[in-house]
Amino acid sequence: MIDFLDAAIRIATPLLFAALGGILSERAGVFAVGLEGMMLAGAFAATVGAWASDSTAVGILLAAIGGGVIGVAVAVVTVRFRADNMVTGLAANILALGLTSYLVRILAGSGKLVSFHLTLLGPWPIPLLSDIPVVGPLLFDHPPLTYVAVLGCAAIAFFLGRTQAGLTLRATGENPEAVFASGANPFRVRMLAVIACGAIAGLGGAVLTLQQVGTFTDGMTGGRGYLALASLIVARWSPWGAVAACLLFGAAEAFELRLQSFGVPVSSYIIHMVPYLIALAVLAGIGRSSKMPAAIGRPLQQ
Amino acid sequence: MSDTTSPSSGDASEAGGRTFGLRFATDRLAGRILLAVLLSMLSAAGLILLSGHNPFTAFAAMAAGAVGTPHQIGVALNRTTPYLLAGAGVAMCFRAGVINIGAEGQIAIGGIGAAAAALAWPGGMSPIAIVIVLIAAAAAGAGWAAIAAAIHLGRRVHEVLVTLLLNFVALILVQQLLAGSLGQKGAGFLQSPLMPREVWLPRFPGLDAHPGFIIAILAAVALSFVLWRTNFGFAVRVTGSSRPATAYAGFSLGRVTWGVMLLAGALAGLAGGIEVLGIHRRLIEGFSLGFGFKAVTVALLGALEPLAIIPAALFVGLLEAGSLSMQRQVGVPSALVAVIEGLTMLFVLAATVRRT
Repeated sequence: MIDFLDAAIRIATPLLFAALGGILSERAGVFAVGLEGMMLAGAFAATVGAWASDSTAVGILLAAIGGGVIGVAVAVVTVRFRADNMVTGLAANILALGLTSYLVRILAGSGKLVSFHLTLLGPWPIPLLSDIPVVGPLLFDHPPLTYVAVLGCAAIAFFLGRTQAGLTLRATGENPEAVFASGANPFRVRMLAVIACGAIAGLGGAVLTLQQVGTFTDGMTGGRGYLALASLIVARWSPWGAVAACLLFGAAEAFELRLQSFGVPVSSYIIHMVPYLIALAVLAGIGRSSKMPAAIGRPLQQ
Repeated sequence: MSDTTSPSSGDASEAGGRTFGLRFATDRLAGRILLAVLLSMLSAAGLILLSGHNPFTAFAAMAAGAVGTPHQIGVALNRTTPYLLAGAGVAMCFRAGVINIGAEGQIAIGGIGAAAAALAWPGGMSPIAIVIVLIAAAAAGAGWAAIAAAIHLGRRVHEVLVTLLLNFVALILVQQLLAGSLGQKGAGFLQSPLMPREVWLPRFPGLDAHPGFIIAILAAVALSFVLWRTNFGFAVRVTGSSRPATAYAGFSLGRVTWGVMLLAGALAGLAGGIEVLGIHRRLIEGFSLGFGFKAVTVALLGALEPLAIIPAALFVGLLEAGSLSMQRQVGVPSALVAVIEGLTMLFVLAATVRRT
């Protein structure tokens, strides 16, 4: 059971980073379809950074920059040029997939693939707390980026709910005209929110490469960005809700792994569908939420 | 920023907080799109320099690889076919403001429909067999799109999410069927048995292209007629430009959405069927991978205009056919094509949005 919950937390961590970034973007009024590409760019940059510098910290920093670069592309096209958010996000995902596959091949020169082998970030047990039976190993014995995800969630919840800047960001997603009237610049708010979204989702990519897989492969995010997008909608754009939603998808995938290891006579392919089917069922179950930011997807007028 | 009030703000929140940003600039549209393509090719040249190769040599190898011999032209035309079919369907959806990203899944399910029908075919009657198998493919694709439309309209879940998630389900469904009832036992790969010869699409001698390209062009011409000359096409255009106007004009949003989704699903399914009958002659795992996004790319590059999507799809088809030669002869990774496609989409989006 503890193994199962532990696996759920592990799988939920990269999703949570991406979902938290997406919440910033969507609450500022820009759909976050580009999460997949931002994660992938982050995963790539983290790998190259850690591999070239032999330092995980450099990898993490580069992951935020890599995701942020995709964020800049999305921000400029959606906010400055007022293009459709959904299609721009998809274009950014295609760009990230192509660019990372291309760069990983030219790094070695002559078009060969580089194979990276990174030392994984190990668990950092928290003294005393990790000694508590059951709860200790489950909650206080994780690799560092998992703690960062939870702290980041608290920080974003505080930022959105308790600070002036967070209020301005939320207002930009609900009523950008009022934000403009109050003297703030909704263009700048949306640009910064989308770029921050990219950087945070990039950290989600770093979790994959630095903490879980230890290397980079083409398209390795494999739809996690889209699951993160589904989970932030299920969470109704609330950071703590995103923790619950990501854990739900994490549990679905962990359940899949369990079933396979127990040799339950269900086709492994059918089990692979479970997270996507759960996402569809939950989204269809809750229908369209009135919590959706009112001005999401609506371009700002000059 | 002199005026930030938008007359559509009230309507937008009623319609689910959505605006339909896929309205293209009307002035110098072709010039803007060519500029976008030029900018992305320039960026690609920069990336080729970064890899230590000469961009001119690389582009020359790409051009030679795309149109150098009749065989290579045939390969490029075969590549173009699914993008043109699915892209024209996607364009109809986008015209109606329905952001259907599900072409990939619909192509995959179309492939399943084709494989199931072809393997069940009793034999003989070659031309009729091909037609029936392709109809099965189109019906299967439309059926998959219908699931997306039902969830989207019935539960008001955004169609982007529904179609994206269904893509993953469809790809896994192909694997499941190939591991089970449709699969070839002991093949070592996830693939179906080879289809009976009667359902293979013929190939033009010397060109290696199958007639799918002609079907795709006819489909694009037909869609152009539907979009600009029929009542349904008018309803699609009205729906895409203003949802409140749809109601005033007496059109049903639900019916238009169903119409474009089924149309796009059928075209994508047909694309999957043609791919299976014309190229692989069996259903194989992942044959539709990435096709859905390319359909979106060519739909945008063709400014959602069915006839303009013909050259747009041809451009992407030639690019991909040529990129393999470029990789082989110059050593520039063919992944560059995906970079060009992503950048072209971003530049097209940035360059063609109507300014108010």
